[in-house]
Amino acid sequence: MLEQEVVSLFEQLRTPVLRYVLSLRVPVHDAEEIVQEVFLALFQHLRHGRSRANLQGWIFRVAHNLALKHLSRARRQASEAPPSQTDTAPGPEERLADLQRQDMLLAVVKALPELDQWCLSLRAEGLRYREIAEALGISLGAVANSLERSLSRLARAEESRKSYA
Amino acid sequence: MPDNHLTQRELILLLDSESHSGREHAHTCAFCRARLMELEATLSDFAELHRDSLNPLLPPIAVSRAQLRSKLDIVTAKHFNWLHPVLLAAACLTLIAIYMHPADRSIPKNNLTPGETRNVSLGDVCREENGQDDAAVRTVPVSLRQQVFREYGIDDMRPNAYEVDYLITPELGGATDSIRNLWPEPYSSVWNAHVKDELEQRLHRLVCTGQIDLATAQRDISRDWIGAYKKYFHTDKPY
Repeated sequence: MLEQEVVSLFEQLRTPVLRYVLSLRVPVHDAEEIVQEVFLALFQHLRHGRSRANLQGWIFRVAHNLALKHLSRARRQASEAPPSQTDTAPGPEERLADLQRQDMLLAVVKALPELDQWCLSLRAEGLRYREIAEALGISLGAVANSLERSLSRLARAEESRKSYA
Repeated sequence: MPDNHLTQRELILLLDSESHSGREHAHTCAFCRARLMELEATLSDFAELHRDSLNPLLPPIAVSRAQLRSKLDIVTAKHFNWLHPVLLAAACLTLIAIYMHPADRSIPKNNLTPGETRNVSLGDVCREENGQDDAAVRTVPVSLRQQVFREYGIDDMRPNAYEVDYLITPELGGATDSIRNLWPEPYSSVWNAHVKDELEQRLHRLVCTGQIDLATAQRDISRDWIGAYKKYFHTDKPY
């Protein structure tokens, strides 16, 4: 039954999808709503008999698009809202402030171009390059280029840290 | 040991089994195997950090799962007894109404929503991609949304049924204050709001990487966004 299949996929993929949306800096409540919307869209997608090829990539692609759209809207609203309404909750970086190496890694990743951050996060969620390409609507070569840039920067930062340690 | 070592890119492809020749080389080259392991370790360290930093934020799955089930129930409307005479009659009337007025709201009415642009440069449009300059972009005010629904004769204003969307998205220089650039786009049809979102992002990327010019993107999306999707995604139906 289709409904049950979607719930099974939700149980399997909800955590990595939610984590990915959170990594794009969407607040938790909104991220949960986005994930719900993703799986409702999946239900409609399957109900209309559309392609089942690379479903994981498809799910992450919808999540990615919805998250970006949400962030875009949030930015527009923030530009009209008073500064006191901005989110001041401590981010993951702050909770890890006592861990020097993790701080360094996070700082390096945060300084990467958005596309490189997305590729790294999707890889961290276990997606293969072809699935990352599907999720972001880019070529396999572009995924490899992106990871090459990111890994080079991470390696340089690690070398630099070791030399100062 | 072989002399020609694998490039960083080849090693990265090898990490995902995307390089067959690289695999053979790495099998015999201790130097490249060591580099491969370093790359794996870096990715693995990042993945661990990624999970460790985000896992504490994750709410329990049980509530989310229950919510999803409930929403799926509504979508499938399985709690309705469709053989009930009243519901059956309502369904028949709805079908007749659709037959008499086959409005496909996936496509905006050209006389109401021809699409309108604001005065922006390519630099403005591409700077918005990074969220550095959203001042020119505005949300759709409630009054404008209601006006759009009235123009299109829609009484069903359930927030989840339609997205009042810009025909030419602000990210492509679409006007943000004109009803002529807005229409109620359904979420439930095949060519729905999510599909159009994908087209908008594809066009934005093509414009900002210089593959098409801004005017072409604006024209294509405003004249026939479904045709534009087929053109730029090389497909006859949405993915």
